[in-house]
Amino acid sequence: MSRAGAERAGSDGIERLRRQAWRAFESRGLPTTRDEDWKYTDLSRLVATLGESWWTPAPETEADASAWEPLAVPGLEDARFVFVNGRLAAAPAGLPDGVRVTRLAEALQDQDEAADALGWDGNAPLASAFAPLNAALARDGLCLEVASGTRLEAPLYLLHVSAGGGAAHTRHLVRVGLGARAHVVEHFASLNGAAPGLSHPLTRAWLAEGAELIHERLLMEDKGCFHIGRLEVEQQAGSRLQSASLALPKGLARVDIVSRLLGEGAGAALDGLYLADGRAHVDHHTHVAHERPNCASRERYKGMVAGRGHAVFNGKVVVHPGADGTDASQYNANLLLSRHAEVDAKPELEIYADEVQCSHGATVGQLDEAQLFYLQSRGLAENAARNVLTFAFAEDVLSGLESDAVRRHLERAVLERLPGGAALEGVI
Amino acid sequence: MLKIENLHVAVEGKEILKGVNLELEAGQVHAIMGPNGSGKSTLSNVLAGKPGYEVTAGSVTFEGKDLLALSPEERAWEGVFLAFQYPVEIPGVNNIYMLRAGLNAARRHRGLPELDAMDFMGIVREKMQLVEMDESLLARSVNEGFSGGEKKRNEIFQMAVLEPKLAILDETDSGLDIDALRVVAGGVNKLRSPERAMLLITHYQRLLDYIEPDAVHVLADGRIIKSGDKSLALELEERGYDWLLAEAR
Repeated sequence: MSRAGAERAGSDGIERLRRQAWRAFESRGLPTTRDEDWKYTDLSRLVATLGESWWTPAPETEADASAWEPLAVPGLEDARFVFVNGRLAAAPAGLPDGVRVTRLAEALQDQDEAADALGWDGNAPLASAFAPLNAALARDGLCLEVASGTRLEAPLYLLHVSAGGGAAHTRHLVRVGLGARAHVVEHFASLNGAAPGLSHPLTRAWLAEGAELIHERLLMEDKGCFHIGRLEVEQQAGSRLQSASLALPKGLARVDIVSRLLGEGAGAALDGLYLADGRAHVDHHTHVAHERPNCASRERYKGMVAGRGHAVFNGKVVVHPGADGTDASQYNANLLLSRHAEVDAKPELEIYADEVQCSHGATVGQLDEAQLFYLQSRGLAENAARNVLTFAFAEDVLSGLESDAVRRHLERAVLERLPGGAALEGVI
Repeated sequence: MLKIENLHVAVEGKEILKGVNLELEAGQVHAIMGPNGSGKSTLSNVLAGKPGYEVTAGSVTFEGKDLLALSPEERAWEGVFLAFQYPVEIPGVNNIYMLRAGLNAARRHRGLPELDAMDFMGIVREKMQLVEMDESLLARSVNEGFSGGEKKRNEIFQMAVLEPKLAILDETDSGLDIDALRVVAGGVNKLRSPERAMLLITHYQRLLDYIEPDAVHVLADGRIIKSGDKSLALELEERGYDWLLAEAR
C-alpha cells in the first residue's frame, strides 16, 4: 500500500472526510418509498421506533462473553472477532500467516487508506444516504488484508451483537491480494432482551487479480432491531466472489450487495436465502455490474414468507457497453406459506453489449399439493410433510454453503422457525 | 378387510364413481380392470385419501374403521399403501429419510418403538433386493431423475419397507419394459402373504401374467359391471371391453 501523502495524515483530514460525508447524508435524507430502490421498504418504522435522531450511536456496552457466547456459531472460535453495539469486544489470540488485521481507527492513520476507508460514491449502484452516514459515523470495524498467494481455508468470523439503545455503524474493509483466498463470515444477532436499535454495517472489498472471496452474511437479529447492511465488492481480472446472504431477521432488514466486475474473466456467484415470518420484513437489493468482457455472474435467491411477513427481492444485472462474452443468470424463487404473506420480486437486466448470454426469472408459489400428498401417503403427518417440503425448498442454497459450521447453525435456525419444525432436527 | 359399499365420488362436480361395491379379504389379490376413463385411478386415489375427491354417497370400511374419515397419513398408519401410477419427484427430500420418517410415524401410531438408523438400514438393505434396486438410488432425492422403471421399483420397494395390510397398485405395469415388469411383478409376488390384501389396478392383462389374481373386476363408467376369476382377464385380452360394455347397457 502506498505511503505517499502519509505526512498529510492526521485527524484534520479525517474530520474533513467525516464532515463531508455527514453533509451528504443530511442533504440526501432518509430514503422514502418514493425512491425506486426503496419502494417496498418503509423506513418510517425506523423513525417511529428510534426517534428523529435514529442514527445516534448506541452506547458502549459492557456485555461479557457469557451474554453473547450462546449466540455464536460453534466451531468458528479460532478466528472470531466480536463486536457489541459496533465496538470490538473480543478478538482471537492469533491469526493465520498472511493475514493482517487492523482496526478502523488505526487504518485511518494512513491518509491514503483513510480516503478509501471512508470513501463512498454518491453515484454508485444502490447509492443512498446510508453509505455517507456510515462513513460519517463508523468508529470501529476491521481492515482485513490477505497477502498475495495466501489461501485461507478457515473462515474469519465477525460476530456482531446488538444490545440496542441506538445505532451501531460498523465498517469493514477487506483486501484480498493476487491469487489469495479469503472467507469472511459476518453474523448479526441480538442479545437476549436487547432494546430496539439499528445495525448498520458496511463492508467494502477489493479483490486483486485471481483473488477469491467467500462472504457469508448471517442475519438473525431480533424483533426490535433494524438492519441496513451493504456489501460492495470491486473485482479485478479472474477474481471470484461467492456471496451468500442468509437472512432470518424478526424485524426489518435491508441488504444491498454490489459486485463490480472490473477485470476480464471475473466471476460473481450470489446466493441468498431469506425467511420472513411474523411481521418481519426482508429486502434484498443486488447489483452486478459487468463492466469488462467475458465475466460471469450467477444469482440464486430463495425465500420463504409466512405469517404477515414481507419479502422484497430486486436483482439488477447491468452489462456495460463492450462487455461482450458476458454470461449472467439470475433466479429468484419465493415460497408463500400463508395467506397474508407478501412478496415483491423484480429481476432486472440492462444490456448495452451485443455478445451476451443472459437469463433471469422469478417465481412466487406455494407448496406442491402432489408432493404433500405423496409424503402423507407414506406416513408423514401433514405438518411434518409441510416442514420437510419447506426445508427441501431451501436445501440447494444450504448445501451450497462453504462453511459446514454456518450451514448447521442456519439449518437449526430455519427448523426452529418452522411450526413444529424442531421435531425434524437431527433427521434431515 | 376392505368393504366398499355403493361408493359415489365426484370430481369438480362431475360424478366419476357411480356406486362401486367391492369386498376384499386378507390374503387376497383382486384386479380391477377397465377402459380409460372408467374411474380406476379415482378409486385408488379415494382409497388413499387424495384431496379433491368428493364422496357423495356410500362408505369404505377398512378393518371395521371408516376409512374415509381418516387423513392420508392416518390411512398409511393403519396399513393402507398406494403405489402411484405417476410417482412424484421431490427434490431436496432424501428417499431414505422420507421412508424412515413415515415408518417411524406409523410405529408410533401402533405403539411400537421407533427404529434407529442402524436397524432401519438393515431393513432397507434386505428389501432392496426384492426389486433389485440399485443402492445409489437410496441416497437420492425422492424419485428425482429416476427413470420410469426406477420409479416403479421404488414404489414397490417402499411398499416392502412399510409392510402395509392393504396395497393398492395403480397401473404399476404402465411404462415398464418386459424385464422391468418381471422384476417388479416378482417383488409384488414375494410380498403376497396371508395377512395382506392387494388391489391391482390395470388397463392391460399382461401384469396378470405375472401376478395371478384371486378375482378380476371390470370397472366401466363408474360401476363394476362384471366380476370373475382370472379367466375373465384373458377373455378381456382377447375380446376387448366393447362386448362387456354393450352387455352392460
